[in-house]
Amino acid sequence: MDGFTYNNIFETKGIEYLAIIAFFLILVPFWVLLNRQVKISKQIEKALGILTSSVLKVPQGLFFSRLHTWTHLEKSGVAKVGMDDLLLHITGEVSFNKLIEPGEKVSKGDLMAEINHKGKNLKIYSPISGEVIEANPLLSKRPEILNEDPYLKGWMYKIKPTSWMADTNSYFLAEEASDWSRQELERFKDFLSSSMGKYSPDNANVILQDGGEICDQPLSELPDEVWQDFQKDFLSSKTLCHNANCFRNRE
Amino acid sequence: MNDQILPIGKDNDGKSIPKFLWSELKPRGKWLTPFNIISIPVICIGLVIIVIRFWKGLGAVTNLSQEVPWGLWIGFDVVTGVAFAGGAYVVTFMVYILNQQKYHSIVRVTVLNGFLAYVFYAGALLLDLGRPWNVINPIIGNNFGTSSVLFLVAWHFMLYMIAELIEFSPAIAEWLGARGARKILSGLTIGAVIFGITLSTLHQSGLGALYLMAKDKIHPLWYSEFIPILFLASSVFAGLSMVIFEGTISHKVFFDQISEKNHKAQEGIVHGLAKICAGAMFAYFFLQLLVFIHDKNWQYLNTPMGYWFLMEMIGFVILPMMLYFYSYRTNNQLLIRIAAILTMLGVILNRLNVTVIGFRWDAAVRYVPTIMEIVVTMTVIFIEIWVFRWIINRMPVLRESPEWAKKEN
Repeated sequence: MDGFTYNNIFETKGIEYLAIIAFFLILVPFWVLLNRQVKISKQIEKALGILTSSVLKVPQGLFFSRLHTWTHLEKSGVAKVGMDDLLLHITGEVSFNKLIEPGEKVSKGDLMAEINHKGKNLKIYSPISGEVIEANPLLSKRPEILNEDPYLKGWMYKIKPTSWMADTNSYFLAEEASDWSRQELERFKDFLSSSMGKYSPDNANVILQDGGEICDQPLSELPDEVWQDFQKDFLSSKTLCHNANCFRNRE
Repeated sequence: MNDQILPIGKDNDGKSIPKFLWSELKPRGKWLTPFNIISIPVICIGLVIIVIRFWKGLGAVTNLSQEVPWGLWIGFDVVTGVAFAGGAYVVTFMVYILNQQKYHSIVRVTVLNGFLAYVFYAGALLLDLGRPWNVINPIIGNNFGTSSVLFLVAWHFMLYMIAELIEFSPAIAEWLGARGARKILSGLTIGAVIFGITLSTLHQSGLGALYLMAKDKIHPLWYSEFIPILFLASSVFAGLSMVIFEGTISHKVFFDQISEKNHKAQEGIVHGLAKICAGAMFAYFFLQLLVFIHDKNWQYLNTPMGYWFLMEMIGFVILPMMLYFYSYRTNNQLLIRIAAILTMLGVILNRLNVTVIGFRWDAAVRYVPTIMEIVVTMTVIFIEIWVFRWIINRMPVLRESPEWAKKEN
C-alpha cells in the first residue's frame, strides 16, 4: 500500500463545472449541424432550379387525387381543396380563374378552376362532391401564393363534402402519396422527352437534362400544344380509366 | 482481392447432419491466395513459439519480467481486441432495443465477429498467464478470487461468449437444416441480447478496472480513477469503427454472397454509423478533458510523454471525430472509412498507452515486446480470420437465410 496522500478535489471543481457547461453549449450546435446534412442538399437543388423529388413538398396528412389536387377535411367538417406542389413546380407562376361560386353544388370531377400562364391554360377538376362554402380571396389579389404555399395559404376552395369517404377512397395518403409523387415526376420526364420529339426541336434548348434532372418550371416556356398534351395525360379522366372510383367523364 | 468464383454455400436440406458436416469440412477455393501465402507461414511459426512458451516458460519467448508482468499479449490482444469487439453490443442494442431495423443486415456478422474476438482473446489471455491451468478457478471455486477484478472479467467473458453463441446459433441451425432448433433458438435471441449488453457494459469497463491498482506504475496522464468509464465510452466508437472497417473488407471479399439489397444498404449503414461515432467521440473527448482537469495533468504536458498524449488526443480523437462529422454531413464514403481507420489506430494507441507504453514508463529497462510476441499476436489474429472465413463461406451470415427460415421470420 502506498502512503497516505491528500487529494483536494475542490481545487478544480470550478473549471470542471465550466467544462461541463461548455460541453452542453457546444453539444447543441454540434448536434444541429450534424443533422442538417439532409436539408442542405435540398436547398442546393432548389437554388440550382433543379426539379427532383427531394424538392417537392408532400405533406403527410392530405389526400392526393391522381389529377394533382389535394383535399383535407378540417375539424369543422369543411374540406379545403387545392393543387399539389408538383403541378405548380411544373407549370411555374400561374394566375387563377375561379369557375364556381360559393353556394353552388359541385360533383367530383366537375370543372372547378383554370390556371393560366401567358395565355396557356390548364383545367382543374374537383376532387370531391359537395357545396362550395368559400373561394380563397387571396388568390385573385396575390396569385403567387399558389406557387409559394400551395398547401396552406394557397388553398382554392372550401367545400362542405357530401360523400367524403366514397370520394377519397382511392386517394393517396402519406407514404403512398410521396411514392406516387416521385412516380409522377418520372412519368413527366418521359412525357417531356416524347413531347420534344413531337414538336419543333427548338424546344429542346429550354429543358436542361443535367444528369436526368429537369430544371424547375419546365412547362412555362413550352408552347400551348404541350400544355394541351399535359392536360390530356395528367389532368383529365384519361389518366383514371382503370380505377373503379374514376372521375366521371364530363368533357 | 478474391478472384476465385466460389460456389455460394448451401444449407443442409434433408441430409443427415453428420454427413453434411463431413462434406462441409472440405476446403473451398484456392489455397494460394495472397492472404493465405502470408498467414500460413506466420501461423506455423507462431504455433511453434506457443509450444515453446508452454514448454520453456514466458521468459523464453517474451520480455516480460517481475517489473512488467503484463505485456503485448494482454495489452493488445485482450484489452484492445475486446474494445473492438464492442461493436456487437452496440449494434444489437440499436437493432433489438432501439428497433433501428436499418442495421439489421449487419447484426449476424457483427455478433459473429464479437464471438470470435472474445473466444480468441480469452485464449490469448491464457498465453500470458503464468499458470494457465488455474484459469478455471474463478468458475469452479478452487479459490474463486472474488477480491480481484479478474474474477468479474472471467465470469463475464464466459457468460458473454455463451450469450453471443446463443445470439448466433440460429445461423448455425439454418446451416444444419435444424428447423425445430432454430425456432427455439430464435426465441432466445432477445434474452441473450439484453443479457449480452448488460454484461458488456461491465466487462468493457472491467478491463480498465484491472489497471486501477497500478496507480504508481502507469503514467499520470493515462492513469485516473476513471479509466473504466473511459474504456467503456471508447468501446462504443471502437466497435463501430471496426464494424465499418470489417464491413468494407467483407463486402469486397465476399461480394457474390451478399444480396443486391444488402449491397445497396451498405452505404446507408456506414453513413449512419459515422454519425453515432461522431457523437460518441465528442462525448469521450469531453470525458478525457474532465479527467485531465480533475487530475491537474497540465503539469505533465511539456514532457515527451505529454507530447505523446497530445498527439493521441488531437491526432487520434479530435481529428477522426471531425472527419466523421464532416464525412457524415457530405456523405463521403471514402472519408468515413479513413476516419474509421484513424479511430481504430487511436483506440489501439490509447489502450497500449495505458497497458504497455505508459506502464512503467520510468523503468530503467523499458519493456519492448520481442519479435516472437508480435508473431504470436499475429498468429492469434490470423487464425481468427481463418475461422471467420470458414464460417462465412458456409453459414448464412452474409448470404440470405434459406427460404424456410425467411418464412418463419
